[in-house]
Amino acid sequence: MEFNQVSFNYPAHAPVLHRISARIPSGKIISIIGPNGSGKSTILKLLAGILKPTSGEVLLNHRSVTDYSHKQLATQIAIVAQQNVIYDDMNVIDVIKTGRLAYHKLLDVISDEEVVKYLKQAHLTKLAKRSITSLSGGQQQRVWLASALAQQPDYLLLDEPTTYLDIHYQSELMAILNQLHRDSDMTIVLILHDVNQAFRLSDELWLIKDGQLVANDRPANCYDRQLLSSVFNTNIQIIEVPEYGRYIAEIPDSKF
Amino acid sequence: MSKSEKFWYLVIICLLLISIVVALMLGVTFIPFGQVIQSFANKNATQYTVLFDIRAPRIFASLLCGAMLAVAGALSQAAFRNHLADPSILGVTSAGELVVTVGSLLLPTFIGGKFLYSLIGGGIALLILTNRTILTSPYRLIIVGVALMLTFSGFQQLFSNGVGQASGSFNGITWTNSVGLLILGVSGMFVAVVISPWANYLKLAGEQLQTKGVSAQFMRLSLLLITVYLSAGVTSVVGTIPFVGIVVPNLARFLVGNDYTTLIPMSMLLGAWLLLVIDTVGRLIVLPSELSAAVLMTVVGGPFLIWMLQRKMLNGIQSSQF
Repeated sequence: MEFNQVSFNYPAHAPVLHRISARIPSGKIISIIGPNGSGKSTILKLLAGILKPTSGEVLLNHRSVTDYSHKQLATQIAIVAQQNVIYDDMNVIDVIKTGRLAYHKLLDVISDEEVVKYLKQAHLTKLAKRSITSLSGGQQQRVWLASALAQQPDYLLLDEPTTYLDIHYQSELMAILNQLHRDSDMTIVLILHDVNQAFRLSDELWLIKDGQLVANDRPANCYDRQLLSSVFNTNIQIIEVPEYGRYIAEIPDSKF
Repeated sequence: MSKSEKFWYLVIICLLLISIVVALMLGVTFIPFGQVIQSFANKNATQYTVLFDIRAPRIFASLLCGAMLAVAGALSQAAFRNHLADPSILGVTSAGELVVTVGSLLLPTFIGGKFLYSLIGGGIALLILTNRTILTSPYRLIIVGVALMLTFSGFQQLFSNGVGQASGSFNGITWTNSVGLLILGVSGMFVAVVISPWANYLKLAGEQLQTKGVSAQFMRLSLLLITVYLSAGVTSVVGTIPFVGIVVPNLARFLVGNDYTTLIPMSMLLGAWLLLVIDTVGRLIVLPSELSAAVLMTVVGGPFLIWMLQRKMLNGIQSSQF
């Protein structure tokens, strides 16, 4: 996929994104980092075809994303939103089955067998018949991930998948993503709140500030104190932690 | 289907069969079970006429109307993502009745005219209700719906002054009416069962469904069309019977859970049973006169709605946005 001079703004509002051009290397993990309100989620929504660029093009296989039907896009791109609403209640397995809709006619019955694989991938086999609202936040997030995987996408997009999870569930989800990356040639694009998590997990980082792509490079090349301090508008220090490596820490200028 | 779901299906089917037999036996003259069987076998003149020409079509019509209204309620609740969104509360049925009244006054009668008029009325009400501002809050939807319902029925009374017939009653129903209902009911409910998985998909947000490759708009519109079709069918034959579409799907939800593929058939059976019981009680309670099903349903449905609101059984009511 590729961004070609993409700008976006909501009608009668200031631009959210400004002339972004970059390529998403296939089969890699790309993390988008930047402060709140910098336009990260908008990038993901443009990739998923939920939003249309005000100018420029988002290309998928050299064709504009907006030229694909929703059904065609759903078989190539899947997105896991930051917070997923469900009205009423649904069984875990039925939520996952919605990921298969793009491969069927709307009236087809989707069998349990068809989604067994995705239940396993997201470690949900034992919870298949439970109602989704009875699960913990981490388990629910895995259900939405499994539903996205059921779309068999080439591109998996995740919007801050770990934000509402405690450390245990965060590392569990990261382990699943790592496994996925090893087992398939799926391209994974994530927005991560935790900068260190992004540096460790990704093959490439996109640094976004005020709707502009400030840098896109391998994490090893992004350990730049000045660059990170300017992106996050705070005093960043890079410290060496034994048995971990370089760790990015925010050192506030003034004490509380 | 789980064991408890099977259990409840069995219970309600048994209740339904027993209630049908009891409803045949009861009336101004009591006909014992043995004689009911005998009359049908021998076609004994007087009792056969009472049973076959008076009680049977009425029972048949109340079963069908109950099932149709309950299914319409379940579909409309799914489409509006609101457990209170019953066509009678939202003014869909009273709009139908108003157009029927006006239509019969102004235009010549023709076959299927009443159904067409109530379909148009219901469609108008839905057009008003699917306005984005109204849908921003689930409570606003209900309040606007109730206001519509009162306005439409006010106008209906205005126009029907002196020429109107008792609304919401099965009194005087014939086999001819019932056959019309049968065609509308069976076709509408068949489609409802076929598209019931869509009601489940609509539990996901519209944007999310789009990324899964399906259109929430299309599915929602289809559910609403069947809702209007079924409730217009009932309105055109017996008028407005309130609350069936809210009481029954919520009871069914309590018994078999939230999956619309089991909830809709359960609503069908439960709705048929409830309206048969209501109509039978209405026939007997003030003999030799009778109470209409609409009046009795209001007496039962009103308190049920209040109880439901107090029990906070409306867990999902926060999001009704398209």
